[in-house]
Amino acid sequence: MKETDIKKTVRENYARIATQGSSCCGATSSCCGNSTGLAENISKSVGYTDAEIASAPEGANLGLGCGNPVALASLKEGETVLDLGSGAGFDCFLAADRVGKRGKVIGVDMTPEMIEKARRNAAAGGYENVEFRMGEIENLPAADSSVDVIISNCVINLAPDKKKVFREAFRVLKPGGRLMVSDIVLTQELPDFIRSSVAAYVGCISGALLKPDYLEAVAAAGFRDIDVIDETVFPIDALANDPTAVAIAKTLDLTPEKISDLASTVLSIKVSGVKPG
Amino acid sequence: MKRSLVEILACPVCHGGLELKVEVEEGGEVITGSLHCPKCPADYPIEESIPNLLPPEKD
Repeated sequence: MKETDIKKTVRENYARIATQGSSCCGATSSCCGNSTGLAENISKSVGYTDAEIASAPEGANLGLGCGNPVALASLKEGETVLDLGSGAGFDCFLAADRVGKRGKVIGVDMTPEMIEKARRNAAAGGYENVEFRMGEIENLPAADSSVDVIISNCVINLAPDKKKVFREAFRVLKPGGRLMVSDIVLTQELPDFIRSSVAAYVGCISGALLKPDYLEAVAAAGFRDIDVIDETVFPIDALANDPTAVAIAKTLDLTPEKISDLASTVLSIKVSGVKPG
Repeated sequence: MKRSLVEILACPVCHGGLELKVEVEEGGEVITGSLHCPKCPADYPIEESIPNLLPPEKD
């Protein structure tokens, strides 16, 4: 699939999620009923506390990420934070509480519908120190050495050029600034029929790199002290409730055993790195 | 978009600084306007207080 086609497909899919609510409410899924509850359950399973989930404006948590509470916990008052792929703004709002009034949080997302949703959520929550802008994470609209911390929650796998994303993150960080991202990586190559599936790409699976390649891309951008803080098998509940995953299973005629095999090759990792000072 | 955040912003293509043009402003918040990159040159619109800094589509 061509790079521009991937971007277009990703944008269209997440625009649909933005307008319909939780990731549970995809066109191919019939699991709806209580979508807010589902997003909360996914968020709990990936490590957010009840207090964090409750503190963000309603509708900001779409239950889409693999979770990055470690990154949020590391934020200090007064820091400038950039969130790559900010979606409806859930992590941005939690980060805003951490950095306080002297700090700033900027969310970048390429999907207009997500940005609009995030902006409404910011207004509803009365956040003064959060801003959203439409942009691409491979072409960050931020000045060199302007940011203390880059956070990103399960988004970089969707970018066609991941190496460029890390180079851009490195560029905009101040010397001594840190990268604190969570993402999906693979323990082994996926079967061809899944790798070529557009649905699987959008569902954060077939765009994912092998773990060593991912870490190599972070190092190649110039980051040092690279650490995998946490690593878990991608929450199978999230996968089973993800409309794109359900669609893949249906179209590819996957048995529950095959899905479980697939799930064991998909890891959610939290990676940190530092731009040398 | 707040005026104070212009200093962090840069052109997504050349990474150079942007010039803010304000059309509508409410309480320190730029609602409508544009960000101009003199180097590229390119204009990035600000609508409903959100700057659109997607790189211009290549043909």
